[in-house]
Amino acid sequence: MAAAACGGGDDASTTTEASAGASSAPAAAQAKVGLAYDIGGRGDGSFNDAAAAGLDKAVSELKVEKKELEATAGETDAQKEERLRLLASGGYNPVIAVGFAYSAPVAKVAAEFPDVKFAIVDDDAAKGDNITNLMFAEEQGSFLVGVAAALKSEKGNVGFVGGVDVPLIHKFEAGFEAGAKAVKPDIKLQSKYLTQPPDFSGFGDPAKGKTAAQGMYDAGADVVYQAAGGSGAGVFEAAKAAKATAIGVDSDQAALPAYADFKDVIITSMIKKVDVAVFDFLQSYSTGAVKAGPAIYDLKAGGVDYSTTGGKVDDIKSKIDEYKQKIINGEITVPTS
Amino acid sequence: MNGFVDRLLGRVRLGGWLGVAAPVIAVVFAVLITSGVLLVAGKDPIEAFTTLADYGTQPRSMAMILNTGVMYYISALAVAVGFRMNLFNIGVDGQYRLAAVVAAAVGGAAVVPGVLNIVLVVVSAVVVGALWAAIAGLLRVYRGVSEVISTIMLNAIATGLGAWLVSEHFGVLTGNDLGTRPIPDDAHMPGIPLIAGTPVLVNGFIVVAVLLGIAYWLVLNRTRFGFELRATGKSETAAVASGVSVKKMIVVTMVMSGAVAGLIGMPELLGASYKYSNNFPAGLGFTGIAIALLGRNNPVGMAVGALLWSFLENSSNQLQLLDISKEIVQIMQGVIVLSVIIAYELVHRYRIVAEQRRVSRELAAPAEPPKAEAAV
Amino acid sequence: MKILYGMQRPDEGEIRVEGTPVGFRTPADAIAAGIGMVHQHFMLADNLTVLENVVLGSEPRRGGLALDFAAARKKIKEISDAYGLGVRPDVPVEDLGVGDRQRVEILKVLYRGARILILDEPTAVLVPHEVEELFDNLRGLVREGLTILFISHKLDEVLRVADEITVIRRGTTVATVGPKDVTSRKLAELMVGSELPSPETRESTVTDVVALSVRDLTVRTGDGRPVVENVSFDIHKGEVLGIAGVEGNGQAELVEAIMGMRPCEVGALTLGGADISHWSTLKRRAGGIGYIPEDRHRHGLLLESPLWENRILGHQTRRPNVKGPWIDRSGARADTRRIVEEYDVRTPGIDVDAATLSGGNQQKLIVGREMSGDPVLLIASHPTRGVDIGAQAAIWDHLRTARAAGLAVLLISADLDELIGLSDTLKVILRGRIVADVDPANATPEQLGSAMTGAGEGV
Repeated sequence: MAAAACGGGDDASTTTEASAGASSAPAAAQAKVGLAYDIGGRGDGSFNDAAAAGLDKAVSELKVEKKELEATAGETDAQKEERLRLLASGGYNPVIAVGFAYSAPVAKVAAEFPDVKFAIVDDDAAKGDNITNLMFAEEQGSFLVGVAAALKSEKGNVGFVGGVDVPLIHKFEAGFEAGAKAVKPDIKLQSKYLTQPPDFSGFGDPAKGKTAAQGMYDAGADVVYQAAGGSGAGVFEAAKAAKATAIGVDSDQAALPAYADFKDVIITSMIKKVDVAVFDFLQSYSTGAVKAGPAIYDLKAGGVDYSTTGGKVDDIKSKIDEYKQKIINGEITVPTS
Repeated sequence: MNGFVDRLLGRVRLGGWLGVAAPVIAVVFAVLITSGVLLVAGKDPIEAFTTLADYGTQPRSMAMILNTGVMYYISALAVAVGFRMNLFNIGVDGQYRLAAVVAAAVGGAAVVPGVLNIVLVVVSAVVVGALWAAIAGLLRVYRGVSEVISTIMLNAIATGLGAWLVSEHFGVLTGNDLGTRPIPDDAHMPGIPLIAGTPVLVNGFIVVAVLLGIAYWLVLNRTRFGFELRATGKSETAAVASGVSVKKMIVVTMVMSGAVAGLIGMPELLGASYKYSNNFPAGLGFTGIAIALLGRNNPVGMAVGALLWSFLENSSNQLQLLDISKEIVQIMQGVIVLSVIIAYELVHRYRIVAEQRRVSRELAAPAEPPKAEAAV
Repeated sequence: MKILYGMQRPDEGEIRVEGTPVGFRTPADAIAAGIGMVHQHFMLADNLTVLENVVLGSEPRRGGLALDFAAARKKIKEISDAYGLGVRPDVPVEDLGVGDRQRVEILKVLYRGARILILDEPTAVLVPHEVEELFDNLRGLVREGLTILFISHKLDEVLRVADEITVIRRGTTVATVGPKDVTSRKLAELMVGSELPSPETRESTVTDVVALSVRDLTVRTGDGRPVVENVSFDIHKGEVLGIAGVEGNGQAELVEAIMGMRPCEVGALTLGGADISHWSTLKRRAGGIGYIPEDRHRHGLLLESPLWENRILGHQTRRPNVKGPWIDRSGARADTRRIVEEYDVRTPGIDVDAATLSGGNQQKLIVGREMSGDPVLLIASHPTRGVDIGAQAAIWDHLRTARAAGLAVLLISADLDELIGLSDTLKVILRGRIVADVDPANATPEQLGSAMTGAGEGV
């Protein structure tokens, strides 16, 4: 199977631009899905993995074929374009790009392949008739866990650990802060980003996460929210050592086998349902109902949420849900930065 | 030990066919090792290498390889300038990133039109790279701080400073990406249709890279400055006794290395992305170190090394299509660098023995003139 | 010494320890045979304690991995008490004085089971009362049955501490004597060689024109101790000024100061009447100073560069090597061929690396190079050291010819034949000071030797 796909790829890549107009017609069933990861790829324990989960679900439920390609560190936009082009010209349709780093490449390659459907996660800058932008209201989900943190904090002191100091992660922080302050206006919030771009190691370095969180616990915080990808494990470790609590991100981390050791310290997680978004996109593709433009996954759409695994927020669940309803109603507008 | 480092950094020449033998042995060895790894992973090495060969010979891929290779080559040159005099400028990475940030902001401001803007961008990158590297040079000369340590630290500072400049001063938010204001269209470096059979243009900076390579060779091998630089690299004590001001050489060499480093980001900035954003390629300075080692600081050797590296890097997508992990590319790159080092060492030892034999044989001959004549 | 400690291998001959022939390939072999070495420069890690330094590399193990510091501490105490070394195991080495550090070095060697100790110039770094303590310790060790090999240039110390003295000159054993049978003066003669070289009968070429004038030159070490003190002399055109002295008495520093390679305090330093005290090394060289360095491998050559590039070294601002900022390859290569020809450098060509030549041929290349470009002054440090007889004679000839042509030469050497044979004027340096002027025409090696070693002082 792979060899056949490869053969196809060879043919097409020699005549890429020429064949762009006459690409394969979208087939309702047996779609060949191409997925391009950001740095870290499958197994990063974070949002690349979430995308992978959505794809896997589609493979088993929608019977699609898949091909996954990973990015290498320090690559240029041209190399990202080439990755997408390789998938598109190899007969993969639809093509999903994971991460805002693919913004410019998706815009460019989508224009070259008008008959191929593209989706990009976390980016609304790439626009085109065949581009679906899978956008999440991270700030809304973060608001809810901010509420939970403020309610659970006995010392009135909470922390936020961001992986890399980029605008996307600022949304997590802004929502968290707004949520915490909504409950306790005088709450103390400590905030720390592990690395500065273009050093993206902050998304995959548990040691850095641990040091940062330790500092916060030492300085009086008793709940720390992490939006730090693979570095999050370090935050949980620090929480365990300090006999304090932490809040997970992206998936329901208290329920993940990889974090089984820490399930006692994870009171809740801000769930960002990249898997749902990816699966939805593939499902709508298989029914021929793909819509271009932004698909907003917010609280209302169930694209973000908070988790209750472990029952640690059961006592305050009604309060959190109150805020949730207010956001959905539009009574509360959560800031994004 | 010192001799080994000298050979490692190519300050020792290998002449004639021996100079070619080492890299050939190394590549063959690397192919063997990689095949072994592939077999262990349950993949077919022949299929993998056929795919690679096939990929590498297509015009489109060749253009891609040249485009990334240009950046790698400039980076290797920047590193090699320091290597030739025993200065380990590990800070090329920070130097080019900071230079790119400032240059991108200058270009985006578009204070002058067209070609002038290109020149302005390039000059500011060179100046920023040179100044940033000069810090390490001055620290070494006046405070005795090893440039290895200071440049590594300056890399971290450059990251922070660059991020601060982008987020606080130059940054414009596009979607979730933060970057400098794009450089206007009239100041884009035009591409060159160098490879027939593909619409992909080769980055115009390839001309700059070639010129830099020639300049590197000329300055180091044909000028008094280059002689003093190489002499300092080979023996600092002999250089001092010969009247070379080692302090001055350290600062000047660091500045030159940093100036070249400033250019690393230019092909991407002026030829592809037109702005510095969170997605700007990072880590090219470290790639440069590997390539300088691979090419043994020789301008042609480094060009070959840069293209080989770029070829492997670009082919990772093809391998992934065969369900071969992209990490195999990193293994291959690592093995090639290691085997080049080992192969050069072996060939070098062979050469020393051979040359000493030759010298003693030729000197022994005149001592016994009748025999020598008989032999001729 | 390096051979005994296994750092180098002998070409021929045999080493016997307690009657058994041994062959050392590494210092570990030597240690296993009970030979330990205390280096002139201490090899201690400052931030570790005495105990840690001593066990470093031969840590006592307990149960496989754990370090047994208690056992080590006990053993160190035992050794220290047995030999009266008075070493405290738990003090960081950085808090110790020089004498204490030396005792730690000695203990380190004993800890490894050495029965034969090699001490390389152990007193060089010590002040007088520390020397006394060291000697007391050494006598204690000998009483306990250990053998000590004490290497020193200082005759009085050797006479005081040794039971038997072997004099080595130019790598050959000259004599083995007992300290009771020799005087310091006699020992000095043995060291420098008593055979009188045939003095060159030749007319003096010394002129009235001063080429180099040095007044009150002082060089200090980093800690302010003077290694060259108030040295003054003039060298005239056509004159060879010899500086005699046992190595390590400031000659190297003096030369480096004159070359501008080392900072110094100087009353006046003129070359051909021009004040050069603020000139860079390069300017001094361009101004007409040729320099044959003491250590040709470190200072004279780029070993892994071809001969023609070595021709440029130190002359990189001058024709025929450069044209403006550019290296003149053909000019430099042609001139290298000239040197190879004129100075009889035995080489298959000018493209081989300097490292492949023998020492004598390397030296001839350096002499040829430094004689190029009509120097006003030549500084020749040990110009014939490690050079075969033929090359030696050739180098002497070249120096004499140049002197006759008006070259001023500053000759530094430990070789009395060379000094007496070549010099027009001879000065003796001891502990950084000029202590005697000797007329080479009438000098006897005995006089010179006494002055050089300080044995003649106060007599």
